[in-house]
Amino acid sequence: MKKYVFALFVALVGIYSCEIDDFCSLETTPRLIISFYDVEDPTEYKEVPLYAWANEMDSIYNAVIVDSIYIPLDPSANSITYKLSHTKEVDQIDFTYEVDDVFVSESCGFKSTFKNLKIVSNTNVWIQRIDISNAIIENETQAHVKIYH
Amino acid sequence: MLKYIISLCLVFSFITASAQKEKKASVQDSIVYKKKYGLRVGADLSKLIIGARDANFSGLELVADYRLRKDFYLAGEIGFIEKTSEEDNYNFTTKGSYINLGININTFKNWLEMDNEIYYGARYGFSTFSQTLNSYTVFQQGTDTGDLSTAYFKPKTIEANEKFDSLSAHWISFVLGMKVETFKNLYLGASINFSKLLGASEPNNFKNLYIPGFNKVYATNSSVSFNYTISYRIPLYKK
Repeated sequence: MKKYVFALFVALVGIYSCEIDDFCSLETTPRLIISFYDVEDPTEYKEVPLYAWANEMDSIYNAVIVDSIYIPLDPSANSITYKLSHTKEVDQIDFTYEVDDVFVSESCGFKSTFKNLKIVSNTNVWIQRIDISNAIIENETQAHVKIYH
Repeated sequence: MLKYIISLCLVFSFITASAQKEKKASVQDSIVYKKKYGLRVGADLSKLIIGARDANFSGLELVADYRLRKDFYLAGEIGFIEKTSEEDNYNFTTKGSYINLGININTFKNWLEMDNEIYYGARYGFSTFSQTLNSYTVFQQGTDTGDLSTAYFKPKTIEANEKFDSLSAHWISFVLGMKVETFKNLYLGASINFSKLLGASEPNNFKNLYIPGFNKVYATNSSVSFNYTISYRIPLYKK
């Protein structure tokens, strides 16, 4: 019995002196999901050859043909202006929202979630109508904003 | 005639002397080695050394055990820790005290007057503590790669300085360890504790990631901790 206890002791000290490395695999700060629909047939997706960027920043989407986009909101502020362009025509949308910081897990730390999403103003060069289908942005399961063009 | 009597007396004395020697040799040699019983008290050296070297850690742990039977001890640890954990995305300070009580069972066969131990045992532990969330950075993926360093917006860092007071936790542990008597009544020991959290009061919008006496809390609410001790036995009696 003594031999087993001692050997087990030495082996376990060796194994447990290593720290388990954890990677953040859970959901973190969710992005705003915008889907594009046909204004004449509001249930049908309508693709857009799109550039998308936040005011004065680099493009997130660069000339890709998509019907849904995922764009980040700034957790340090309460508003953001995004510019979406259909080929050469540029439309601007001003969003406002509130931010909550939520603890996720040991390896991820904190994430931000958004609520009370509002559109303060927008231009209508190629966008005909904008609907907010979900003003609470907590996950990336469904579109939060629907754009009809 | 007298010559013969004296010689006969001499011979007689030799015979009786040798007979006595034989009798002595036939007595059983049975010396019993008694074990020392008493209170053994000491301190955890590793916490003192880490405290001196690491600015983020300060702590003291006192250990004690009391022998009830030859191989059966009552054992306990009591301690106080203040530790600041600097993780990738957040920084917090834990401060509190703890107590562990339990038993040790020795499996080492001590020869003669040796008094060493290789033991296994169990503990019930309890701690009261506070957590202070010093600062954190919100984890936000970049738009393509998911790497925090390529985040689209400048990362949001908050100096929260949020204190969660009057938290408590309790747990059970399984202990493996050994103690060696180096000098008279002075023992050096080492042990490893495998602990499982039974319950804890959690702070709001944060988590107990470190508990004094329990160590770092892993996702399975279990933990491993070590101690390296030096103790002195106050001898009370021998049995």
